[in-house]
Amino acid sequence: MRSKVASDLRTSDLGPVDLEMNFGLVGLSHKSAPVEIRERLAIPEAALPQALEALRRHDGIREGLILSTCNRVEVFARGRPGGNPADSLVSFLAGYHRLPAGELKPHLYQYAQRDAIRHVFRVTASLDSMVVGEPQILGQVKNAYAAARAAGTACGLLEEVLMRAFSVAKKVRSETGIAQSAVSISYAAVELARKIFGSLEGKHMLLVGAGKMSELAARHLLRSGAASLMIVNRSLERAEELAEAFGGQAVPFERLFDSLAHADIVITSTGAPHFILKKEDGPRILARRRNRPMFFIDIAVPRDVDPELNKIDNIFLYDIDDLQQVVEANLAERRHEAQRGEQIIEREVDRFLARARTLEVVPTIVSLQERLEEVRRGEIERLRARLGDLSAEQEQAIEALTRGIVNKILHEPITHLKSAAQEPDSRKAIDLVRRIFNLK
Amino acid sequence: MSQFWLRVTLILYSIGLAHALLTVFIRRAKLFRVALGAISLAAVFHLVSIVEQAAATRRFPITDFHHSVSFLAFSITCAFLIAYARYRFQALSVFVFPLVFMLTLSAAVSSGARLEDPLLRSGWIWLHVLLLLAGYAMLFVTFAAGIMYILQERELKSKKPRAFHYRLPPLEQLDDLAHKTLAAGFPLMTLGIISGALWAAAEWGSRWPLDPKIALSFVTWLIYLGLIFSRWTAGWRGRKAAYFAIAGFLATVATWGANSGLHSFK
Repeated sequence: MRSKVASDLRTSDLGPVDLEMNFGLVGLSHKSAPVEIRERLAIPEAALPQALEALRRHDGIREGLILSTCNRVEVFARGRPGGNPADSLVSFLAGYHRLPAGELKPHLYQYAQRDAIRHVFRVTASLDSMVVGEPQILGQVKNAYAAARAAGTACGLLEEVLMRAFSVAKKVRSETGIAQSAVSISYAAVELARKIFGSLEGKHMLLVGAGKMSELAARHLLRSGAASLMIVNRSLERAEELAEAFGGQAVPFERLFDSLAHADIVITSTGAPHFILKKEDGPRILARRRNRPMFFIDIAVPRDVDPELNKIDNIFLYDIDDLQQVVEANLAERRHEAQRGEQIIEREVDRFLARARTLEVVPTIVSLQERLEEVRRGEIERLRARLGDLSAEQEQAIEALTRGIVNKILHEPITHLKSAAQEPDSRKAIDLVRRIFNLK
Repeated sequence: MSQFWLRVTLILYSIGLAHALLTVFIRRAKLFRVALGAISLAAVFHLVSIVEQAAATRRFPITDFHHSVSFLAFSITCAFLIAYARYRFQALSVFVFPLVFMLTLSAAVSSGARLEDPLLRSGWIWLHVLLLLAGYAMLFVTFAAGIMYILQERELKSKKPRAFHYRLPPLEQLDDLAHKTLAAGFPLMTLGIISGALWAAAEWGSRWPLDPKIALSFVTWLIYLGLIFSRWTAGWRGRKAAYFAIAGFLATVATWGANSGLHSFK
């Protein structure tokens, strides 16, 4: 037992006594403050070392981390015993930006202890993000941690919180679907194509008309493995231009139907005022391709493809509103999955706190063991002369005997300390044991 | 001993079933590894059970109802494992595992005297049963792929992705799976029927009686033949093919269940 907790301790550079949990967090995000306030309170990356240094010197702060992104500014810290780190952090933020604290306060949220840890976990796992599950935030928290570590403001329990936050974020990502479905229109088109065709490898694409959106979707699809790209445009010149840019092949408008028979994915975005593909075209095209499925993405407004085409077997037609609807359904799915993420976080916060509380009593346990070992050795030394010559066996017996006594005596107080660690007034038990055994 | 291994198999199937359902319904990917491990191990013990039974009776143990059910469950598990190795469809387990579990359960708990028709001991009649059961297993996967296809197609056409959309595999791969399992299951079924007919001809000459199972199996065979034919010639695929595969499988179930006349287990 001793070796396990003792090795945990060595990861902290602050020395064994400094393990008191006193966490606080102050911040503002897209949920609590308008962008005008957020940009005023942002701390650019270049200014971070200086800001962390100021934070370290601030009254009542022992360790700290500053996270500043375009959606949030958060200061997470561990305070000195007795103080309230959240209050110190408000005054730090106000002082750093030279703003009156009263003006800031309405936009800030403040958390202490358990709530602060939970908030760090939630932010890192992207459950608090504007788009739930977006992946950038994890990297941003990692950068903030690297900066704090470089500035020497994250080296004790706070570092443990962050390490745990990273692994919890990974767990939430892999065990829930918060990051699984597309939340942008062009990526939603790629995902739909994957749900129709499976792999996009070997699939042929046809771009009818050109535009920013359709080019973006085409680029996404090509990057996802689509084999080739044909481009049809009223102006062949423009088609050739695009074909060159994408490594595709320009096709004259008259050969639209030939190329449709070869295309698995068709993106239309012409400026035509009427449908360029009508319902009766569907079966004709399918007949030429032995009913292999087709995916039409109609980005044009007014639409290029008759919506009736979607009713034909093996044709799947999505217009811009449909894609938007898919994105919204995906967002709802992410929010639904996020609830499961919250449960994971709740459990992980409990686990972390239980471990951290055990860490709080570890120094006492270690010095208790050292104290009794000292007594034991001292007594053996003292009586060594009177025992005379001993055989190796007798020597061993004495060792075993004295060790046995020490361990038996230690067993009860250690068990008590460990269980007291999980109670709110663990401090009392620690102080009591320290007084009884006269530990420093 | 064979019954003991069958019960071990049953426990493993139930572990696989529980984990597969959890994987698909709450989408926790890690659990599927447990499901897959349990099912693979179950297949091994199932094989052990079958081999022990064969050694004990010195016969391929599929000539009574109880053992044929057990063998059918084993064939379906194998069909699933082969399909999974190729396609990695976790959703397929939701169709396969409950059925395999139920079949094995009924095989594992049924006991008592197992009367065998002396007819079934003769010659190579076991081959007739073996081919048909293996064919059924393949065609069950075709059926499951068909159901998944229809559900996923409806999601994609409705443009409002709901729970099914996220959990079911892509359409074209489902169609491919349905096609490949049909291409494997249909010849097995055909050979099974031919072997039965040859055996009957050898036993009774040209005067062997027609019973409901034979009639139904002929209907089933025609449905599948129609499906294969229209796939090849008219390029039928997707929804229509899926409906056909479902109809074919329902006919298969009726065939399998019709145990009277020549095919009654007396």
